[in-house]
Amino acid sequence: MSDQSVQHRASYQLDCSINGKSASIPSEASKRLLAIIRDDLQLTGTKRSCEIGRCGACMVLIDGKPFNSCLTMAYQCAGKEIITIEGVAAEGLDPIQQSFLEEGGFQCGYCTPGMIISVKALLDANPDPSEEEVLEALSGNICRCTGYGSILRAVRRAIEARRMIPDVASVDTIKAIE
Amino acid sequence: MLLNRETSGGRWRIRPDGPAKVSGGLAYLTDMTMSGMLHGFVLRSEHPHARIISINTDEAKQISGVHAVLTHLDIPGFNGFGIANPDQPVLCSDTVRYIGDAVACVAADSPEIARAALKAIKVQYEPLPVVDSPEAALKSGAPKLHPNGNVLHTTAYSKGDAEGSFAECASIVEETYDTPRQMHAYMETEGGLFLTDGEGRLTVYSPTQHGLKDRMQLALILDMPESDIHVLSSPIGGSFGGKDELNVQPYGALLAIQTGRPVKIHNSRWESVRAGLKKHPMRIAMKTGIDESGRLIAHQVSIIADTGAYSTLGAEVLNFATEHVIGPYRIDNVDVKGVSVFTNNGVSGEFRGFGGSQTIFAMEGQMDRLAAAVGMDPWELRRINLRMTGDPGPFGQAIAQTDGALQVWEAVRKHPLWTERRSTAPQAPWLKEAVGAAIAMHGAGLGYGMPDTAGGRLRLAADGKIEALFGYEEVGQGLIASLSQMLIERFGFAEEDLRIIIGDSDVVPDSGSTTASRATSMMWQTLQRLEAPFAAKLLRRASQLSGLREEELRLGEGGIWRQEGSERIARYEELARASAEELSCDTTFLYPATSMKRIGAHFIYTYSAAIARIELNTLTGRVKVLQQYHAVAAGPVANPQGYLGQIEGGSSMSVGFALTEDAMMEKGLYAARNLDTYLVPSIRDMSGGIEVEAIEELPEGDEYGPRGVGEIGSVIVAPAIAAAIREASGKWVAQLPVRPEELQQTPPFIAKAVNG
Amino acid sequence: MGEHAVENTEWPIVLHPELPSEAWSMKERYGSEAVYAAGATLLRTQWESGAAILPSYLIDLGSLPDIREIRVEDDWLVIGALASLSSILGNRSLIERHCPAVVTAIRNIAAPSIRNLATIGGNVLSGVGDSIPALLLYDAVLVWQDSQGEQEQELGDWLLRKSVHGAAGSRLLLRIRLPLLQSSPSNVGNDPNSSLRRFDRFHKVGRREAFTASLVTVAACGSFDHEGKLADVRIAAGGGQSVPSRLREAERKLTGKIIGESLLGELYDDIICYYEPQGDLFASAAYRKKTAANLIVAELWQQGSGAGRGDGDAVESGN
Repeated sequence: MSDQSVQHRASYQLDCSINGKSASIPSEASKRLLAIIRDDLQLTGTKRSCEIGRCGACMVLIDGKPFNSCLTMAYQCAGKEIITIEGVAAEGLDPIQQSFLEEGGFQCGYCTPGMIISVKALLDANPDPSEEEVLEALSGNICRCTGYGSILRAVRRAIEARRMIPDVASVDTIKAIE
Repeated sequence: MLLNRETSGGRWRIRPDGPAKVSGGLAYLTDMTMSGMLHGFVLRSEHPHARIISINTDEAKQISGVHAVLTHLDIPGFNGFGIANPDQPVLCSDTVRYIGDAVACVAADSPEIARAALKAIKVQYEPLPVVDSPEAALKSGAPKLHPNGNVLHTTAYSKGDAEGSFAECASIVEETYDTPRQMHAYMETEGGLFLTDGEGRLTVYSPTQHGLKDRMQLALILDMPESDIHVLSSPIGGSFGGKDELNVQPYGALLAIQTGRPVKIHNSRWESVRAGLKKHPMRIAMKTGIDESGRLIAHQVSIIADTGAYSTLGAEVLNFATEHVIGPYRIDNVDVKGVSVFTNNGVSGEFRGFGGSQTIFAMEGQMDRLAAAVGMDPWELRRINLRMTGDPGPFGQAIAQTDGALQVWEAVRKHPLWTERRSTAPQAPWLKEAVGAAIAMHGAGLGYGMPDTAGGRLRLAADGKIEALFGYEEVGQGLIASLSQMLIERFGFAEEDLRIIIGDSDVVPDSGSTTASRATSMMWQTLQRLEAPFAAKLLRRASQLSGLREEELRLGEGGIWRQEGSERIARYEELARASAEELSCDTTFLYPATSMKRIGAHFIYTYSAAIARIELNTLTGRVKVLQQYHAVAAGPVANPQGYLGQIEGGSSMSVGFALTEDAMMEKGLYAARNLDTYLVPSIRDMSGGIEVEAIEELPEGDEYGPRGVGEIGSVIVAPAIAAAIREASGKWVAQLPVRPEELQQTPPFIAKAVNG
Repeated sequence: MGEHAVENTEWPIVLHPELPSEAWSMKERYGSEAVYAAGATLLRTQWESGAAILPSYLIDLGSLPDIREIRVEDDWLVIGALASLSSILGNRSLIERHCPAVVTAIRNIAAPSIRNLATIGGNVLSGVGDSIPALLLYDAVLVWQDSQGEQEQELGDWLLRKSVHGAAGSRLLLRIRLPLLQSSPSNVGNDPNSSLRRFDRFHKVGRREAFTASLVTVAACGSFDHEGKLADVRIAAGGGQSVPSRLREAERKLTGKIIGESLLGELYDDIICYYEPQGDLFASAAYRKKTAANLIVAELWQQGSGAGRGDGDAVESGN
């Protein structure tokens, strides 16, 4: 058996991109991404809540898709683009975040980063989802405070808000043509 | 008024704490870190009930990277906590009484080393028989969990002669209702950061509903003056009653003091489930009788509450339950007996509703059964017996009078969901849709004889900001937003003028706990008292500064303005600079209480009636909530977004209580240990719409302002669901969560040959 | 502070074999100290809860060739063991053409983010995954790597042996093959002259409306000829910790018959009699049995009356 395929414990270097910036993070291959984000990178917007992927508070985007960072290990993130809540908006607030503000789609706010990540993943892939598609996309995000009513109102508002943005619209047009 | 963003107009505001929450920038107290910090962990009991023979920490202390291993021997002050009765050990010395009891704590360089240290602590236990139900605890010969036995508290209330009056009843219904051990399941678990400054001062960053109370309890445990303890307690990622008591603070504090280093604790969900409080499971037996006209004649109730291992607020919850099993009804003959019993089943304590969920489910269940027994419309039966304005409260006590009960009753009566409620045509032979309704009155404040302090302070800061200081906490309910809104609307300030100060024990006044649907009311009352004197002080200084008469001036955005025209004559910063003398007003008072000398009797109530439309699938026995309507009479709406959020959010806790939530225990051990098996409603469980109508009218002369709405939404939906299930299936539900197996039926199209 | 250093027990060493034979050798070498890791979602849950001990080694299968691909090869639909549940949904139209119930089953597992990480192999190898009843419908074949190279085994056979003999040992699941049937939807569906009307259905019942472990899963497929007689009917059931299985007795009883009330009554009684799901604290065996029987009977009734539509939603109103 080739020894080259054996990784040694002490020094796993996670090479990836975090919120648009390349990163080379000394870690353990099987360390949870959640711990790397919160403890090593001090990005505490991503939350620790159930730790078994059953609440969505730890949601991040990996190559544009939502993943529970409490279930994802470092070696599974090699070479990937990771977006946390801190990276959702290049500057200021993303229309999704603005919509949550305007509709009051949060109360204690602890589920909110994970919720917004899931909404972003949905709308980036599907800018005009049906109600059913919204429910499906958020089915893995638990909120204990709002009863989800204000969250759904925020999502509907975000769908409208993103329609208004010229460059988002043109990206969709390009995709449609392709 | 139907409550939503459109109808709220300009009163619908963006929450001041919103931007930080949606951007992920808000540092919760469990997000905090500090360089040089250690990681604190707690060793918890391996048994639900056992004697501790010995605790050996030698090996744990030997581990490289471990800085402290503490046991009960290391507690400088009082080894106990508990808001009402401090009978819960900080660190157990001779007995463990539930699976979450704390036995030792460690601080280490990393969580991994800390966990290894926990494993290395050798505790010798002698397991004792597990008392796993109130019935078992009450049997003669049962192991005594506390020196005074297994009864924490008993209650009794009687009026007239219930037992004797049953003979007069045309119809009597008897039923026993069982409610689940519901878990708060706040998304942020317990934790915080604890540090000393090397000069004897301890700083505690840890979420709690009552920072000043935490300080008081810690002072006793640590044998320190309160002035040496600084508690920073907000913002909080949800509490719902579960973070009023101390939880990890004693361990963080002890470890920080022992090591001289900052210590961080952040409970895993496993630990939070294991150690944290739960709602009291209750068994409520009711026997209720009416006469021929449907008038309630006799009502006999026995409440058995499983309070678990320690007192916490078990007695207070039982007091509340005793009051609320009577409901918003006029009943001539009442007999209520309650007992709260110690067991080894976790610890039951404060939980949104405070006994309301359990009792209202039972009482409304009785009303529906009585209506069915005599063939009367269930809503009409309620009308016949509904309290009228001017009636005393459930105990016969003087209460703040409103038309709330009738207002919400009427709102449901005429709502299309109710008027068009006859079961709709099913999409399939096994699907049934039906509608049910319930009504409730829910007391706010702590009740007579309880320390129910309120108050706050307004101050013009040196930098010109208008500061509002209150001892309340932001648990998510929108406290900061509501306070901000009240200040803006009452005084005319701009949002940028304000600085809200909460969650800092060094500076906030004693406003009492953030609990019992009291904070919004009390902030309003505080501002009601402070408005005139504070405005007067500001105007006087403005007058001195400007030479204009006070009558010519008014408060406004950014500063003082002329009454006539639109000229701002001085900014608040200028007023602040104008004098070194502090400009502030404060007030202290008590939450309005009844005069009746019965501990816990309430004075101010919120009323609500709700309709739930459900779908029952008889193949699976599963119930889905399709739509809800809530009418709430709670006086003026202080903050529409907050009010709506509390009702919608509360209703999802009630749906969970009815359909999916149960922190099941077997022999004192949790069978559901995390959110994969303890199921709170997902977005699909709540995907039907909720319409909320706020009825604001109050009698003329009412001085109490907005009533609290933090709890009412969470106590009203379960009975409406149960009523709807009865309509859909013909079956009564007396146990929650609803058991699908009880509602399952063989498909109607199968031949009679079927044995099922 | 002491001198005794603690060993790292919290982060398994991750190995990255590049060939199936290499992976197999690693597993042989480390035995119970190593586990194969695909998405590892179930493993992580078990480690966190203490239900399984953290191993010393994870054998990451992600670098193996051809381990994620989904394609048609001759008369087979081939799905790599490491295909994420999401990627299977992403290939929905291909998979629906051949085994629609598999798509419905996967759509109801967990939630989108977990499906991005969890794999079909992981779901199958749990022995109780919700995809299994659907795979059983279509006579899925497992392709393993062992000391001899690649071995094929019918899914049903593996489940049977597993419940008797225990888990897979060092064998590595490479892919799952599903035979394209003559009367599969791809052959039947679009042909207006076809005399067969086909159905493929899947239902999952849990403890809440979404994002729940299953209590009961049922899958059924088959076709009706122009006389309304059932042909090639297949029924499978599972859920919770019950080992999923085909209900062969029921299938035999139904084949060649026309759906009618007394037939359904007999079918109901048979299922109640022969089907043995496992109960637990959350739902009794009796409830699971009745639920499975109800769902199967109701589904057939609905199909038999020509009312069937969609992919499993009708019997459970729209989620």
